[in-house]
Amino acid sequence: MSQENRPARPSGRPPESGFARLSRTESGLRGPFLCFFASAVLWLVVASVLALVAAVKLHRPDFLGACELTTYGRVTAAARDTFVYGWGFNALFAVNFWLMAQLGRFEFRNGWLATLGGATWNLALTYGVVQIIRGELGGFALLDLPREVGPVLLLAFLLSALWSVVAYARRPGGQNFVSQWYIVGATFALPLVYLLAQLMVLWFPTVGTVQALAHAWFVQNLLFLWFGASALAAAYYFVPKILGRALGHYYLAPVGFWTLFLFAGLGAPAALLGAPIPIWLQSVGVVASVLGLVPVVVLAINFLSTLSVDGGWSRSWNSTTLRFVVVGIVSFLLFGLLTAVCSTRDLSATLAFTSFAEGQVQLLTYGAATMILFGASYFILPRLTGSLWPSSKLVHVHFWSAFLGLLIAVGAALVGGWQAGQQLATPAVSAAQVAAQSAPWALAGSLAALLLLIGHVAFALNAFGMILSSTTPTSDGRSD
Amino acid sequence: MNDRNRHPDRNRPPQGNPGPAADGFSDGRLVEVHSLLAREKEEPREGFALTPIFIVFLFCGFGFWGGLYLTRHSGNFASTAFDVNAPKVTAATGPVEFEPDAAKGEKLFVANCAACHQATGLGVPGAFPPLAKSAWVAGAEDRLIKAILVGLAGEIEVNGVKYNGNMPNVGAALKDAQVAHIATYVRQAWGNTAGPVMDTKVAEVRKAIGTRGQYAPADLLKEHPLEAK
Repeated sequence: MSQENRPARPSGRPPESGFARLSRTESGLRGPFLCFFASAVLWLVVASVLALVAAVKLHRPDFLGACELTTYGRVTAAARDTFVYGWGFNALFAVNFWLMAQLGRFEFRNGWLATLGGATWNLALTYGVVQIIRGELGGFALLDLPREVGPVLLLAFLLSALWSVVAYARRPGGQNFVSQWYIVGATFALPLVYLLAQLMVLWFPTVGTVQALAHAWFVQNLLFLWFGASALAAAYYFVPKILGRALGHYYLAPVGFWTLFLFAGLGAPAALLGAPIPIWLQSVGVVASVLGLVPVVVLAINFLSTLSVDGGWSRSWNSTTLRFVVVGIVSFLLFGLLTAVCSTRDLSATLAFTSFAEGQVQLLTYGAATMILFGASYFILPRLTGSLWPSSKLVHVHFWSAFLGLLIAVGAALVGGWQAGQQLATPAVSAAQVAAQSAPWALAGSLAALLLLIGHVAFALNAFGMILSSTTPTSDGRSD
Repeated sequence: MNDRNRHPDRNRPPQGNPGPAADGFSDGRLVEVHSLLAREKEEPREGFALTPIFIVFLFCGFGFWGGLYLTRHSGNFASTAFDVNAPKVTAATGPVEFEPDAAKGEKLFVANCAACHQATGLGVPGAFPPLAKSAWVAGAEDRLIKAILVGLAGEIEVNGVKYNGNMPNVGAALKDAQVAHIATYVRQAWGNTAGPVMDTKVAEVRKAIGTRGQYAPADLLKEHPLEAK
């Protein structure tokens, strides 16, 4: 924290002058990127408000309880879906595509197709969220949008995200960077997984527990292979880029990539330990979850060896982008460790049906993916808009609210979940006592949700101030 | 493509010791450097070899543990095993339920009994009594099982013809299930129509008679008289 007093301004500075000059790659990107990014930020604010309402309801059930539209189940589902499909997907579309275009020198000419995909995605999602609030929600978390939204989202995904694969295929010289593998992998994995999950869970429901298995598999892949892999791609880009140093032990990176993609989906049944699915499936899930430590070790070696040389940590702290990205990396490593440890049968039996799993998920979707996305936007937006971040105070407010909110939210969910799990396993403690004991943790959750909302509003104000004040880029290098 | 000068943190005072690389990579340079790194081995330096060896051992350890765990906790990969604490599934050691099988019984019969009783079940006139349409094999299962387990010695009347038989204890060397298969076959072949015999019944009878010599047919009839047709 002492670095706080350093003279360095953490907010991004614009390019050398107020005069916006975009490279060819960036000028084609600008429109679609800003479209995705602006919708992402709007969804983020909506999701934060909904999450705050849901969090308050956990310790004050009568809060907004008189209205049917704001009952707990609907608000929670809407908060989760707006956060994941609204903020997460839109922001990842934007950042993934920017990364691929930069790394592959891709000059994007058909921006309207991606923008069309983005518009479709957001319209379908808006319809779905409205339906959820109206009470038309399904029973599977993250697949609870109405069934008919699924195909539209899939189509919109293909329109929006496949450009990064095109950018990869057209890269000059056949050279490769680890970020590109992760994004290509994520872009191929997600539509396939989403399609199969839609078919097996919603359209042609499979029999019995296979449905639950398919759902767990979908969630696992969504978390690891879309959020995780895309976030790692950005982290792999920004750390060497900003520190100006090649990644340490880079030869290990392919091992991390392939093992992550191999073990992520197989680990899904570990979420269903003790469920009536054959024991060998559960055991495969446990083994795959523990073997998930292989990519985590590789990532740790790659990132920590790059960051720990030559004052890398303090330099990261002084760069706004890397400050967020490093928090994201540490969160991802913690998440991988927790996933492996908590998949063992004894721990899983204690922690099942508590807030612990929720804390783990938040560690990935917020701690890793969202933090890295924030870092990426602090890097990318000034380049694309050619203007300053309007207020460096708001940048500070954003970082500290998000960081503290993350710590409190995840800490409360993990510790509260652990405590509740221990008590639930003790027959002497009644269910009412367990609920009463968890009230302080729910209160902490509300505080965290409030902090996150403050941070996100600060971020949104800054970002929209920047986008709106940006001049239309006039570019020498523009190709059209 | 002026990436280096467009870095948003460009204007901050440099921290630490700013080497030539401290300014950050351009994107082209970033890809190029790492492509080289991936293609060529790093320069050997002190301590370099430790990480790969450590990694190889660690990952092999993970794999080894995974194999052990799967072997112990997979319930033999049976689709019907749901609980890790359930007693070991017997499916691997043999059929859970016995089903009397006349086809198996026929094979056993040919190997153990047909030398005297013939594969036709008609026996040898004057020497070995027939089994086909014999009242001795129909009716109470105990009579047939006892004859197979310990044998018969003495005068015996079958289908109105008298024989002076000496049947060895064929069943003593066979398992309960095998005896049950043979008995089932005998009771259902050659026009016989009696019910099948279960292995549990054989076990029960074997336990009840303990160790004893061959039955005299008359004694056996006292225990289990022939049923009227």
